[in-house]
Amino acid sequence: MLTDRELERYRRQIAFFGEEAQERLANARVVIVGAGGLGCPVALYLAAAGVGEVRLVDGDVVDLTNLNRQVLHGDRDVGRAKVESAAEKLRAQNPEITVVAIRATLDEENAALLVDGADLIVDATDNFAARYILNRVALGARVPLIHGAVRGFDGQATTIIPGRTACLECIFPVAPPGEDVIPVVGTTPGIIGLVQANEAIKYITGTGDLLADRLLVWDGRAATMTTLPVNRQKDCGACGIDRHSRR
Amino acid sequence: MQVRVRTFARLREAIGGDLMLEVPEGATMSRLLAAVGETSEQAGEALFEENGDLRAYVILMHNGRRVRRAEAGTRPLADGDEVALFPPVAGG
Ligand SMILES: [Zn+2]
Repeated sequence: MLTDRELERYRRQIAFFGEEAQERLANARVVIVGAGGLGCPVALYLAAAGVGEVRLVDGDVVDLTNLNRQVLHGDRDVGRAKVESAAEKLRAQNPEITVVAIRATLDEENAALLVDGADLIVDATDNFAARYILNRVALGARVPLIHGAVRGFDGQATTIIPGRTACLECIFPVAPPGEDVIPVVGTTPGIIGLVQANEAIKYITGTGDLLADRLLVWDGRAATMTTLPVNRQKDCGACGIDRHSRR
Repeated sequence: MQVRVRTFARLREAIGGDLMLEVPEGATMSRLLAAVGETSEQAGEALFEENGDLRAYVILMHNGRRVRRAEAGTRPLADGDEVALFPPVAGG
């Protein structure tokens, strides 16, 4: 049951999708992997929307070069763990929710534990090695994964429903090359992060159409957003039905 | 025949926008990709490895359907078709 204070706090969105949807948000547990350019806006808007548990996972500390885009961190946070810096702002934004800060770098060994109990996983990582691990963990646990990635003025996002839609490896069987420094204009992860947060809110409340089997592509230079159809691949190494029976 | 090429992200930067390319009747996806690569040095570099192979991470689409790399050499195109080239991004 929502308290009077919660009913008031979320009044504008309850007016749109109703109290039951708000209760679903309050009962939801969302894990956000990465507290950087994407993770900051995703976490801030999910906290503001009243998602009951926001679990943040990141092993890094705040660096001065992060501040053009990682908007939960400020000048005085340089040198602090990103998850601590972010959690402080989220708790101040909304004391009604639980914010869990886990300072860890996701890897093969710890991934399942880090996302344990989640209703939804948000990919706010900055590399495909971590994304492929997250994809497999999400498939194994049958928990939806909301993917986002950015570079420069360009971004992409999609929502993966295990067993139903294309998974990350169906869509991106080969990772784009890594770069020492990926250039990013701060607004790009802001836009893609909010697309991801929007997907999370829709999934939890059962509202609208998800980016299921659709890859959203944002071109900030042209200010255009397009969706490209994607589909499940039978021979996908992560989710394909043929993957065990290859001869 | 004419084929429309939609480009995204770094390929769009390198190529400068979408293209309308004239290719011979019955040209395959591979033939079209070679023609895209020939439009400029940057386009060639964005699309192909030094050994001439298509960059493996580039997503190919033909009239809204995903095309596997292995199919590109045999996939015939028709006049008025649309091909999309999408190189995914990786930052966060
Ligand atoms: Zn798959």
